Amino acid sequence: MLETKIKNLLAELKNKLNQAQSLRDIAALWRQYLGDKGVIKLGLKEIKNLTAEEKRTQAPTLQKLFQEANETFKAKESELKNSLAGQSLKTEAEALAFTTPKIGHLHPLTKTIREINQLFISLGYSIMDGPEIEEDEYCFQRLNVPLDHPARDMQDTIYIKEPNFLLRTQTSSIEARTLADFPPPFKIVSPGRVYRNESVNKSNHFIFHHYQGVVVQKKVSLKDLFGTFDALFKKMYGPQVVTRYRNKYYPEVEPGVGPDMQCFNCAGQGCSVCKGVGWIEMGGAGIIHPNVMRQAGLDPKQWMGFAFGLGLDRWVMAKYNITDIRTLLGGNLSYKYYQDETAI
Amino acid sequence: MKLLYSQLKELIPALKASPKEAGRVLTMVGFMMDSLKEVKFNHGPDWLMSFEIRQNRADCLSVFGLARELAGYYGLKINWPKIAKLAFSKDRLEIKVEAAGAVKRISAVKMTGLKNTQSPAWLKDYLELQGINSVNLLVDLSNYVMFLTGYPSHLIDVEKMTGNLRWSLNKEFNRVTTLFGTVVPLKKDQELIIRDDKNIIATALVGSRAAEISLATTEVIAEVATYDRAVIRKNSRDLNIVTEASHRLEKELDPNGTRAALELLIGLIKKSAGGEVASALFDYYPKKYASPAIKFDPRLPGQFAGVAIAPSQAIKILKNLNCALKKSGAGYLVTPPTYRQDLNLAEDLVEEVIRLFGYEKIVAEKIPSLEVAPNITPKNIILAEKARDILTSLGFDEILSWPLTKHEANSQTNYLAWQEIATQNSINDLCPDLRQSMATGLFNQLAEYEKNNVEAIKIFEIGKIFGQIGKKYLEDESLGLLSAATQRSLDEFKNQLEILLRSLGLTDLKYFTAAHGPAAANPESCWEILAQGQAIGLIYKLKPRANKLNVYFAEINITSITALLKKVKNYPVVELTRKLISLDANVELAKNESIYKYLTGLEKKLDKDHLFSLNISDVFPLTDKVRYTIRVVYKELSDQEAKKIHLQAFGL
Repeated sequence: MLETKIKNLLAELKNKLNQAQSLRDIAALWRQYLGDKGVIKLGLKEIKNLTAEEKRTQAPTLQKLFQEANETFKAKESELKNSLAGQSLKTEAEALAFTTPKIGHLHPLTKTIREINQLFISLGYSIMDGPEIEEDEYCFQRLNVPLDHPARDMQDTIYIKEPNFLLRTQTSSIEARTLADFPPPFKIVSPGRVYRNESVNKSNHFIFHHYQGVVVQKKVSLKDLFGTFDALFKKMYGPQVVTRYRNKYYPEVEPGVGPDMQCFNCAGQGCSVCKGVGWIEMGGAGIIHPNVMRQAGLDPKQWMGFAFGLGLDRWVMAKYNITDIRTLLGGNLSYKYYQDETAI
Repeated sequence: MKLLYSQLKELIPALKASPKEAGRVLTMVGFMMDSLKEVKFNHGPDWLMSFEIRQNRADCLSVFGLARELAGYYGLKINWPKIAKLAFSKDRLEIKVEAAGAVKRISAVKMTGLKNTQSPAWLKDYLELQGINSVNLLVDLSNYVMFLTGYPSHLIDVEKMTGNLRWSLNKEFNRVTTLFGTVVPLKKDQELIIRDDKNIIATALVGSRAAEISLATTEVIAEVATYDRAVIRKNSRDLNIVTEASHRLEKELDPNGTRAALELLIGLIKKSAGGEVASALFDYYPKKYASPAIKFDPRLPGQFAGVAIAPSQAIKILKNLNCALKKSGAGYLVTPPTYRQDLNLAEDLVEEVIRLFGYEKIVAEKIPSLEVAPNITPKNIILAEKARDILTSLGFDEILSWPLTKHEANSQTNYLAWQEIATQNSINDLCPDLRQSMATGLFNQLAEYEKNNVEAIKIFEIGKIFGQIGKKYLEDESLGLLSAATQRSLDEFKNQLEILLRSLGLTDLKYFTAAHGPAAANPESCWEILAQGQAIGLIYKLKPRANKLNVYFAEINITSITALLKKVKNYPVVELTRKLISLDANVELAKNESIYKYLTGLEKKLDKDHLFSLNISDVFPLTDKVRYTIRVVYKELSDQEAKKIHLQAFGL
């Protein structure tokens, strides 16, 4: 009987398809069973030899068997395609290497300088630098430092060739050069390295880092200076910082200002950090002395300015938990593989 | 400067401020209180206050001076100690002043019939609080008066003198033994001394043993003098003598005050040790100091402060500070007291008014709106910042090191044609020379990292390098870059350097074997780096090391590339409308021939409008030649057009 024959062929096909390993095997089986000369296709052609009654009863079943054979092929082909695609992904796949790549770091001093620069750039200041081998004229004379001022003393200043060439003792020399070289108005900040003739130990160094600011325009006041310093302190220490400004002598300014910050350790009550006075000195500032203006060829009746300066090293040490000042400039400063400070 | 709160109360009886408040006020007006301690003095509780006195206020290195400041702040009167008028005799004191240029004023007198003893307890205690040992009554009174008035004095035992006193510059003595027993070598002709015929009685800084006061002393010459402060400062530094006296004399002490200080001392001596004045007052004062009359507009302090300060208030403050005011036109002529030698300009008076008005009353509610100013930031600063960002992105850590180094370090690392610069007086004598290459600091850091087992060393530093050509001192901003690895990685190091340089805007980069590499470099692996035909730095591998670590170093002159980049027009963006065409060609050159020279010639032959890139993609050494595979990428051409140009350019 034709139906039995086709059923047997279909069972045989299914069995062979199960064993097929490749699309090529499937194509061969297709040709063998369902191609124009395939055994199932040829078997189905025998329908025409059946009686009308046999056709009526068997034809639908045979048609279904044919469809089933087709679907079996498609399913197997799809299964095999998926399987082969998976094998290809495996071949192409790469594993993640869970090693930690090295990242680069900026020096804590650079990071600190950048943080402060960011504030002043947003306020329209330029960044300036100047020579580290400086002339006496720019380091002292143009800054109204008299001949016998202690800062000029051989004990404090490192000379290259006395008396005219030295390593700058303060970034105020950049102020003197900017005053000489640029017509006002200008607003500058100058982070930079300065030198003092001191022996090196855990708490002292002969190299420091200063941050200088200078504004020259038609008119400025102490109130402008205090407002600027307030912004700087808040940037460095946060909005809760308590500051005060007191009179303090510096030869290059008049009036002079000593900016202090309330001791962070004792909140002004007095402790060993602030030596019992409740405040920590933060630098120096003031209205630029008229003699400094005159030395730069500027009429102090036409132009005014303020200047400020502060040391960076101790603040950076406190911020980064560095206990030995020598660490900042070489030696045992190293960087961890991961960041543990707020990145943004 | 230390003083007792009880002294302030005695001088300013109406003072109501507590010790803490008095300290706060003095701090705010310019004398920072650096300590406040509860102490016992003269059988009662007291407060010892210590203040920082800045260089311009010699008048406040004294109890009287600080009391004057406090009284001025509160507008209170001072109850000065009463000094009985001295009855001088007619006998002249024979004193010669040979160092006229160094001496401003000398006030001196002779006393006889003294009975010296140990000091009373209160005086001993007082000096102890000041950190000074008690010697005997006469010496202690001299020191006591110094703390009260700010004027150092000397008492000289007349019976020990050999001849008359002379103030002179030392030309004779090789050494002096001070009162403290220290033998100080003298340089001759530089030290201001008080001498008699045979001995140094005192330097201007400290007394000598020659005529020191003992308990047996009955006859003294007492002197109070002021000098040229520069001479004193130089003497103090040259002889390494720092005393309470030198500390005061090296400031601008008012010569007008010497007589009053001497009279106070004589009065106290007479009261405590008896005796009589036995000479006329010797008073050498050739050039009398008078305060300037300063033109002053009382509206100025308000303008400087940025807050309202009434002119009447400014005038009141100046009067409280004992300035004499005389109306002059719209303003005033202000004559400060002579002890205020720091007041010479209107701006000085402005400061006086504002500091007593109170800095704490100047409150800035916001960041000030200052004038808009042009951006004058130099390009090298921008470039250095950019380089830092690129290098950290490439995994390099920034370090900072000492610009001072050893001669040996410079001789290992310098590759530039300049001389080393040495400092004259650095007390850090292990590192007396300025670095000539950034390698000095990076090599030191490498050594430290190796010692501390730090791995994956990739470090850089941007800083100054220094050198001298003739008499000219030069300094350049420079970038040093170092990488150390167990694997050979020169190509990777060079590529990272090139990423940096090209990201900064440099394009025409070439590497030539360096004719003069530094001593630290392996001469077979040392190249000079050129950009736009100009030398900008060096790249090299260090000589082989015992630990087999491969260390690579490069140095780029930031100053040079800043100047160079100002000239470079760099437009890296192109609009592609056709696919790029990449064609290779092999070129064989003799080993001593320059591939860069060849490429420069080739570049001239190619049409710039159609050249996208030109690279050496492979290098193959032959027996006596080198074969380079050169890859040219053409843009905006068809295949045939590109091939035609390519074959022509290479002569194929």
